[in-house]
Amino acid sequence: MSRAKTDRIESGRSPWNRFIYNDNTVGYIFASPFIIGFLAFTIIPMLSSLYYSCTNFDLINKEKWVGFANYINLFKDERFLNSLKVTFEYVALSVPLKLAFALFIAFLLTRPSKVVSFYRSLYYLPSLIGGSVAVALVWKELFARNGLINLNLRKLGIDTVNWFGNMSTAKWPIILMTAWQFGSSMLIFAAGLKEIPTSYYEAAEIDGANGWQKFWKITMPCLSPVILFNLIMQLISSFMVFTQAFVITGGGPNDATMYYALYLYKQGIQSRNMGYASAMSWVMLIVMGTVTAIVFKTSKHWVFNEADS
Amino acid sequence: MKMKQILAVVLSAAMVFGLAACGNNTTSETTTSTETASVDTTAEPTEAPEAEVTEEHEPVTLRMAWWGSQTRHDRTVAVIELYESLNPYVTIEYEPMDFDGYFNKLATLVASNDVWDIFQLGSNFPTYQSKIYTLNDFIADGTIDVSGTNDAFLRIAADEKGNQVGLCSGVNTYGIAYDPELFKQAGVAEPTENWTWDDFKNACLTIHEKLGIYGSSKFDDWQAGASMGINQEGFGIGFFNKTNDGMGFDDPKMLADYMQMRADLVDAGAFPDPGACNEIADIEQDFVVTGEAAMTWVASNQFVALSEAAGRELKLINPPRKKADGPAGVSIQSSQMLCVSQDSKYPEEAAKFIEFFQSSVDANKILLAERGIPTFTAVREALAAELTDTEKAVYEYVDLVGSFDTGGETVNPSSPECVDAVKEQYKYYLDKVIYKEMTAEEAAQAVFDFAASQF
Repeated sequence: MSRAKTDRIESGRSPWNRFIYNDNTVGYIFASPFIIGFLAFTIIPMLSSLYYSCTNFDLINKEKWVGFANYINLFKDERFLNSLKVTFEYVALSVPLKLAFALFIAFLLTRPSKVVSFYRSLYYLPSLIGGSVAVALVWKELFARNGLINLNLRKLGIDTVNWFGNMSTAKWPIILMTAWQFGSSMLIFAAGLKEIPTSYYEAAEIDGANGWQKFWKITMPCLSPVILFNLIMQLISSFMVFTQAFVITGGGPNDATMYYALYLYKQGIQSRNMGYASAMSWVMLIVMGTVTAIVFKTSKHWVFNEADS
Repeated sequence: MKMKQILAVVLSAAMVFGLAACGNNTTSETTTSTETASVDTTAEPTEAPEAEVTEEHEPVTLRMAWWGSQTRHDRTVAVIELYESLNPYVTIEYEPMDFDGYFNKLATLVASNDVWDIFQLGSNFPTYQSKIYTLNDFIADGTIDVSGTNDAFLRIAADEKGNQVGLCSGVNTYGIAYDPELFKQAGVAEPTENWTWDDFKNACLTIHEKLGIYGSSKFDDWQAGASMGINQEGFGIGFFNKTNDGMGFDDPKMLADYMQMRADLVDAGAFPDPGACNEIADIEQDFVVTGEAAMTWVASNQFVALSEAAGRELKLINPPRKKADGPAGVSIQSSQMLCVSQDSKYPEEAAKFIEFFQSSVDANKILLAERGIPTFTAVREALAAELTDTEKAVYEYVDLVGSFDTGGETVNPSSPECVDAVKEQYKYYLDKVIYKEMTAEEAAQAVFDFAASQF
C-alpha cells in the first residue's frame, strides 16, 4: 500500500476515524485482553489485599481496620515461622535438583540424532501435566504405605519407608515431583546450549582439553545467563508451592510440609482469617523480592557476559 | 487496510468475550440438556412450543450444593432429577463436593454474595446466619407444610431465637463401627455401651498385637477428644457454653487424656499415624473397609455406606466413655439441614424443593436415610417398612443413644463462629503431641488458651 493512500485515510476522515486508525489505538486494542486481565485480575486484587491486610476481614462480616496488628501477630505465630522455614528448605533442595536435572538432560539431548526432538517432547510432558491435581494424586498413591514404591522396596528386600508418616521423609515425594517437572527449564537450557559456538569446543580440543574441562570452562560460563534466568524463574515458582503439598500431604505430618502458600490458604480460606492471610501474602512478596534481588546482585560475580569481556 | 483494522477490532473483541466465556461456571449435565433442547426449538420454529409447561411458570434455575460421599451424590442427583421431571419449569444445577471443598467454596461465595440457592449446613450454621433465608414465613403461609413432623424436629434446625434456619435432613449421632469378626480373631470382647477409653485403648493394642493391623482407623479427633470428650465430663458441661460466647469448661486437663492416648496408640502402631490418616479421603476408603483396622469413628448415617463398601458385617456402638457410669457424651442431633440462601432470586422455589426433599416419600425412597433418620413421620414409616439389616442397626443405635441419660440437659445444636479455627488448632497441637514436640498437658493448655482467646 502506498504512503499517499495511508495518509489520505488518516487525514481525510472524521476525528473518530483518525482515532481508531491511529497505530497506538490499534496497538492498545490488540493489547487490551492482557491490559484488562492485568487490571482486573492482578492490580485490583493486589490493592484490595493490601487494604484487607490491615483489617480483620473474615469473608462474612464487615471488616474492621486493625492497622499493622496482622503483621505483628505474624512474627509471634510459630506456625508461620515454621512455614517460612520449611519453604526455604524446600526451595533450597528442589531448585538445584531440578536445574541440575534439566541441564543434564538438555546436555544429553544436544547430541545430533534423529530422535532428539522426540525425546525432548517426551521429557517436556511432565511440565505440561505435572502441576495438575490428577498427577499429584498419582504421586500420593505411588508413595502411599502400600504404594508402588514401597511394594518394590519390599520385593527388593529393603525396609519400606513410611513416606508421609515421618516428618523427615514427607518432603521428598514433593521435592521429587517438582524436580520431575524439569521440562521447561530443560528446553531453555537446550536453546542456550545451541547458542554456544562450536568453534570454542574445537579450539579447546586442539589444546587437549577433556570433556570435563570443556564443560566447566566453556559450557558453564557461556550458559550462565540462561542459568540465571532459569534460577530466578524456578525460585519464584518454588516459593509458591501449593498444589503438591495440598493434595499429597495436606501440610502434614505435624506441619513438616506446611509450605507458606498452603498455610496462607489454611488461614485465609479454612479458618477464614482473610486479613491475616492478606498480610502473609505481602510478607511473601517482600521475601521473594529480597531473594530475587540477592540473586541478581550476586549474579555479576558468576554470570559471564560476552559483551563485557 | 480498513477491512483489516475492522477485522482486528472484531477479533480482539471476540477474544475478550471468549475469555469472559471461559470464566463461566461449568453447568451441570441437566442444564446442558435443557439448553440444547431450547436451542432446538428456536432452530425449528415449526414445532409446537412446550405451551402446557411454560404457561403458568417462568423457567426457574436453582443452584444447589452439598457435601458427602459418592452414595449421597448419586442419590441426591436422582432426587433432583425426579423433582425436575415433576416440575419441568425448574432446573437445578448441582455441585456435589467433599466436606472441606464445600466449606472452602461456601466461604468464597459468602464473600461474593453468590451463595447457592439451596445449600447444606450443619451445627456451624451461626457462622453463615447472615446468608440464611429463614423459613418462618414459608411455614406460616403454607409453602412448607410441616404438619408431618413435630416441634422437636423443627427446633433442631432453628436458632435460639426460634428462626427456622433450615429443614433437618435427618437425625444422627456419632458412634464406633467395628468388625466383630476381627474382634473375635484377636480374642477381644466386643464393646458394650458402658465401655471406657481404657477399654478402647486395650482393645486397639491387643488387636494390633494379635492381628498386626490397626486397632482403630481415623477418628474425628475434635469430636471424640474435645467436643464430645468434654460432654463426657459431666451433665451440662461442654467445650463452648450454651450461648456460644465463651468456654463451657474451665479445666484444660480434661483435654489431655485423649491426646495422650492417641499419641500412645500411634506410637504402638495400633492407630494410623497422620500420614496414613491422610490416605483416607472418604468413608469408602476407610481402613475398616480395606480390612486394615477393626474399628472406626462414624456418624451413624455413614454406617450404611461404610458397611456396603466393606461388604462384611459391621456393628455400631457408642463411643467409649470417660467413666463407665459417666455421661455417654453423644446425643441425637440434626446431622445436617438444607437452607435457602439470602442471595437466591427464587427463595420460594428453593423452599418448595427443600420441602419436597425432606417430606416426599418418593424422594426419600431414593435417599434412604443416608443423611440421617428422616424427621417426617410419613417418610420414616414408609422407610421403616423396607429396612435392610444395616439400616435397621442404625435405627436401633439412634434409639439406644436416645435412651441414654442426659441429666435433663438439652444439647446445644449450634457452635460459635470461631469453631473452625479452634478445630484447626486442636488438630495442630494433637500432631505436636503425636510427634513428641509437646506433652499432652502442654497441648491441652495451648488448645484451651487459644479457644478462650477467641472470645
